[in-house]
Amino acid sequence: MRKFLAIVKREYWQRVRARMFIVSTILLPVVMSLFGVVPAVILSIETGGPLRVAVADGTGKMYPHLQDAFRDEESQDEDSPPASQDARQEELNQARRGVTGMGSKSFQLTEVKADGRSPEQVKADLDRQLLAKQLDGYLILPPNFITTSEAEFFTNNPGDMLSKGILQRMLNRAVRQQRLVEANVAPETRKELFKTVELQAVKIGAAGEERDSGGSFVLVFGVGFIMYLAILMYGQVVLGAVIEEKETRIAEILFSSVRPFTLMMGKLVGVSLVAMTQLVIWGTAFAAFALYGVGLLESRGVPAHIPSIPFSHYIYFGLFFLLGYFIYATIYALVGSMVTTAQEGGQLAMPIILVLVVSFYLFLPVSRSPDSTFSFWVSMLPFSAPVAMLVRIVTQTPPFWQIALSLFIGFGSVLLIMWFASRVYRVGMLMYGKRASIPEAWRWVRQV
Amino acid sequence: MAVNDITVKLDRVHKSFGEFTAVKELSLTVRAGRVFGLLGPNGAGKTTSIRMIVNITAPDSGSIELFGSKINSELQNRIGYLPEERGLYRRMKVADQLRFFAELKNVRGKVVEAKIDEWLARVKLSEWKHKRSMELSKGMQQKIQFITAVLHDPELLILDEPFSGLDPINVELLKEIVLDLKRNGKTIIFSTHQMEVAEKICDDICLLNRSQKVFEGSLREIKSSFGRNAVAIRCEGGDGVLDDPALVSKVVLHADEAQALLAQGADAQVLLRRLIDSGARIGKFEMMEPSLNDIFITKVTEHE
Repeated sequence: MRKFLAIVKREYWQRVRARMFIVSTILLPVVMSLFGVVPAVILSIETGGPLRVAVADGTGKMYPHLQDAFRDEESQDEDSPPASQDARQEELNQARRGVTGMGSKSFQLTEVKADGRSPEQVKADLDRQLLAKQLDGYLILPPNFITTSEAEFFTNNPGDMLSKGILQRMLNRAVRQQRLVEANVAPETRKELFKTVELQAVKIGAAGEERDSGGSFVLVFGVGFIMYLAILMYGQVVLGAVIEEKETRIAEILFSSVRPFTLMMGKLVGVSLVAMTQLVIWGTAFAAFALYGVGLLESRGVPAHIPSIPFSHYIYFGLFFLLGYFIYATIYALVGSMVTTAQEGGQLAMPIILVLVVSFYLFLPVSRSPDSTFSFWVSMLPFSAPVAMLVRIVTQTPPFWQIALSLFIGFGSVLLIMWFASRVYRVGMLMYGKRASIPEAWRWVRQV
Repeated sequence: MAVNDITVKLDRVHKSFGEFTAVKELSLTVRAGRVFGLLGPNGAGKTTSIRMIVNITAPDSGSIELFGSKINSELQNRIGYLPEERGLYRRMKVADQLRFFAELKNVRGKVVEAKIDEWLARVKLSEWKHKRSMELSKGMQQKIQFITAVLHDPELLILDEPFSGLDPINVELLKEIVLDLKRNGKTIIFSTHQMEVAEKICDDICLLNRSQKVFEGSLREIKSSFGRNAVAIRCEGGDGVLDDPALVSKVVLHADEAQALLAQGADAQVLLRRLIDSGARIGKFEMMEPSLNDIFITKVTEHE
């Protein structure tokens, strides 16, 4: 046991004190936040001013509805409370003046009256304006638009799918309004009809009604993702750690002092503690940041809350995270025991990533039917158990014996794989330093 | 010979890897406080035998006893092993490294710190204590590896080709240390294929060839059993005498003298008289012990 601790200690301190560890601990959050911020910044870049669109309203009824539709959309975007009558009037005026924002895309609408001109003349005039770059596009609503729903949008930039989509959506809304007006529906009723739906999934558990299982679900996804990240980052480290003694030829000295199983287990635990240290540092920083953010939002009167999750779930999250990490880390250790150089190991480790990705996506079918036979077996199989079982726990918590069995099978497999790996490692070292094929590895396990 | 005088005892030990037999029916006894040379050409089974003694691999059949009991992982703490395949953690500092290897032998605390300083001073590497091992030269690394084998003060020290690749000064330094350890009552198993080195420090030897034991016994015994049948001669004239097959079986010419191996039943006195009679001027005529190398070659040839 003391030898085991000596190995764990060495692995841990050597790695935690390495410059690489310190740099990656600081750098990764920076890179991640850049990835989060940069796309948002890029999307918010306003390319040019608002889109100037002229509307030739042949029906004579659509233009005010279209303006309303744009304004409603804008007020929804900003999530502001319903405007008072005065403010509404003010807004209306603003809309009349024509500038209306659309998230990152803004429109400037102007109405074009025929004023005695024929439709052809109107179109010709608009074409001229378009060519003179006084307009970005114009919309022609034919007189029978309300029944046909067919309109045309002329633009010098037909590739701008985003603007076209918005226009179409707004026209849809406006034409429905007009149809309701023509059906003599009262303005209040019309407003009621356009009210958007809010859908909340509520979990029914044994303890009665529990609101917001969404929070747990998001957390499962988060745990799965962090697990994925930790395995991708530290699987290679485990692989390297196991190969290290072969490459430096220290293995034989070590084997004259400790049992291979102790050595392998010590390495796995040591490297894992390094991974946990890094995750805890990031987690603490993130939690502090999140709490600060929530506090800030609440102080401004914005209702933000941390989802309430049953305490037992946190324990399960921890256990299954460890299980997932260790299952894959041991596979890396096994690969490390079979090869002689890190490059070889990298190649042989590729299928592991594949299994990992597949197991990760199993959460989709499992979340759809958490109690199916399929879900049961998937949550027992060590490779897929961590994510699958967590999904089952937050959706329809399975009986405790299933959770316990899943953990038992999982951690049992970890020990078995390690035992297997340590035998392969020892014989591999005693032989002539060649890479083991799988049948060879099997023979080696039975040897010695 | 009392039982507690025996440090290592192998009894009909057999080990094979698949088709290949690495060690065949090997029995040997290493006595306490002696330097035991495990000699043989490359691939004779020396390293496999040692690995079984240090409990890295188990024999297929036969038994191995250490310090009077069957080998187990506890006994590993009483052995210091310097394998032929050896290395250091490249990025680890020398002192940390030595401390780690001592911990693996269940030795820790202040004792180790003192020992580390003592040993580093002894191999003249004190100023490298806090350097990473990748900064050390190959020879320096080899001396650090040697320390890892002796740091925990083992009763049995097993050295597999300890001097390979070292310069003569460092060979001399380590040889002195080995002999000093022997004077302090340690048992040492010394494996090499360099007979000249073995000849200088071993008390007992065991010759292995093709997985089998060819000979085991004290160096003195084997040398005297071979008798003095070689003569070193330096003379002028006397041509033809050394060519007589009835007297001399083989002549090896060195720079300024010849070494003549006497033929079966021939007498050195007769050879000397014949030389004088032929009118040769004799500068040197000395009966010689056969070298371990000669013995080895003879034995191996006989064995095959």
